[in-house]
Amino acid sequence: MSTPSGVKSHRTQNGVWKVTTRKLPILKAEPIEELSKAINIPIPEMIFGDNIVAIEHVPSGWTLEFNARDALDRVSKTEKGMLQVAVAEEWKKERSHQEEVKQVVKPFDWSYSTDYKGTTHVGGSKGAWEMSDQAKSPIRTDLLSRPDPILFFDTVDLYEDELADNGIALLSIKVRVMPERLLLLCRFFLRLDGVIIRIRDTRVYVEHSANTIIRQYTAKEAKYDVVYEKLKAMGENAPETFRDANKLAPLLGTVEDTTDIFQVSRDVD
Amino acid sequence: MTPAPTLANPPPPASVDLDECISRLYKKELLADSVIEAICAKTKELLMKESNVVHIQAPVTVVGDIHGQFFDMIEIFKIGGFCPDTNYLFLGDYVDRGLFSIETISLLVCLKLRYPERVHLIRGNHESRGVTQSYGFYTECSRKYGNPAVWHYFTDMFDYLSLSCVIDDKIFCVHGGLSPSIHSIDQIKIIDRFREIPHEGPMADLVWSDPDSDRDEFSLSPRGAGYTFGAQVVKKFLEVNSMNHILRAHQLCNEGYMVMFDDRLSTVWSAPNYCYRCGNLASVLEVGPGGERKWNVFDAAPENDAHRLEQQQQQQQHAGNDPVRDYFL
Repeated sequence: MSTPSGVKSHRTQNGVWKVTTRKLPILKAEPIEELSKAINIPIPEMIFGDNIVAIEHVPSGWTLEFNARDALDRVSKTEKGMLQVAVAEEWKKERSHQEEVKQVVKPFDWSYSTDYKGTTHVGGSKGAWEMSDQAKSPIRTDLLSRPDPILFFDTVDLYEDELADNGIALLSIKVRVMPERLLLLCRFFLRLDGVIIRIRDTRVYVEHSANTIIRQYTAKEAKYDVVYEKLKAMGENAPETFRDANKLAPLLGTVEDTTDIFQVSRDVD
Repeated sequence: MTPAPTLANPPPPASVDLDECISRLYKKELLADSVIEAICAKTKELLMKESNVVHIQAPVTVVGDIHGQFFDMIEIFKIGGFCPDTNYLFLGDYVDRGLFSIETISLLVCLKLRYPERVHLIRGNHESRGVTQSYGFYTECSRKYGNPAVWHYFTDMFDYLSLSCVIDDKIFCVHGGLSPSIHSIDQIKIIDRFREIPHEGPMADLVWSDPDSDRDEFSLSPRGAGYTFGAQVVKKFLEVNSMNHILRAHQLCNEGYMVMFDDRLSTVWSAPNYCYRCGNLASVLEVGPGGERKWNVFDAAPENDAHRLEQQQQQQQHAGNDPVRDYFL
């Protein structure tokens, strides 16, 4: 069901889990300014500040929510990890005597790279996220690969920026609910032309009959030139493939891979 | 699917029937690649004679980024009037991102050739070989024509597009914004513009820079390339050049336009529901004979939805499943 408020939701057959999405237009000028003041960095050119995806454990009210504000708040607000575009060196040389330019914008990670794993509202559940691993708490890709009927599906963008024609930064979410399980993928994709390719995936997996939420965070990256050479060797059409994160992901090296779990309370007093 | 080009024996360039081309393009038909070649050659000849700063008179309707959103461009003509009844100034970014960059730029170029004094096209940052290879136009040309030849015809022609326009000596129009290397309009006139857009320098700044209401002067982006310009820069530029307004495009605004710096600068954005998913409004700016400015705001054309539905149905027939849902992992 889609409503004028942009909200769609689905409750699993056992009534325990509820997935909600909200998709609305990009923010207007005034809310953009407020958001920029609140998190203290400039806002990406496409900002879906009203969009959300939420997975709720209905009995306890426990919710894992994904929204643009919290994702952007985790972008580095200092020089730490700051990238430079491919032509930056050329610019420095050419402009070293440019007297007109008196100001430099406060440094921040303008690639909008985020390690956002969602925002947790514990509700009536006690406890916290606990470290685990894929051996103990696997996301069952075997079961997820079965062609079970998809009862609910949505894809929701949180923000996107073309990095002034130097590539793309995109944070987007896909969610699908099958009869016995659900999967959410929150993906940050960065292609900085001539510099780097970066993919940071947060996967959330729930078996409807269990009380455990499994969350896996996988960060991958590789130098642009390395990926380009690999694509050439594979005979791929580089311009097209460079826009397809799914095809690029296997070509990148994993820099971080962690799994944590949350045990929600079955009964809330 | 897009109909294949049908002109089997293309006429020699001198005999291209522009009116026929225009009426076909209004119906979103593609022209044969040989016709595109001839049209781009003629457009180069025409544009070559234009200054880097084209002086025009009001009334004129100014259009911002279109980005291949063909149905929405037709909506602009429905709202603002068809050529040549209405004079148009297009501020660049005709291609990339949208589904119909070829149809969009083909129509605009034919209108320019047919009504050279009533239609003006200037260059945006996407009218470039480098950018169009990453953001869709190159791929669209290769796909719809089976080879990238028309992409070469168009991008070679882009090198001839003018960089700016002045309306009634009062409104300075450009795609991006100002440059720290440019104080006077005369400094724009001496740029050698017949080339690919460079990575840096005044020509790059004109198509790339953005205003910043939090600052007074020029600032270097933390990216290491690209400028923003502030209130004092705008004020000084207008004083030095005896003008009263800067009109530019280049930045997405949910409301379709944005006015800044005490009404000294405005941004016009003409791609509604940008990329078919932003949900934003779009606008064109009608500049009247007395210099008065009227925003004409519009929403996405209904043809977009009809087209999307048609595409989905076709995909469904081919794939036998729901193209929207996928078994992502």
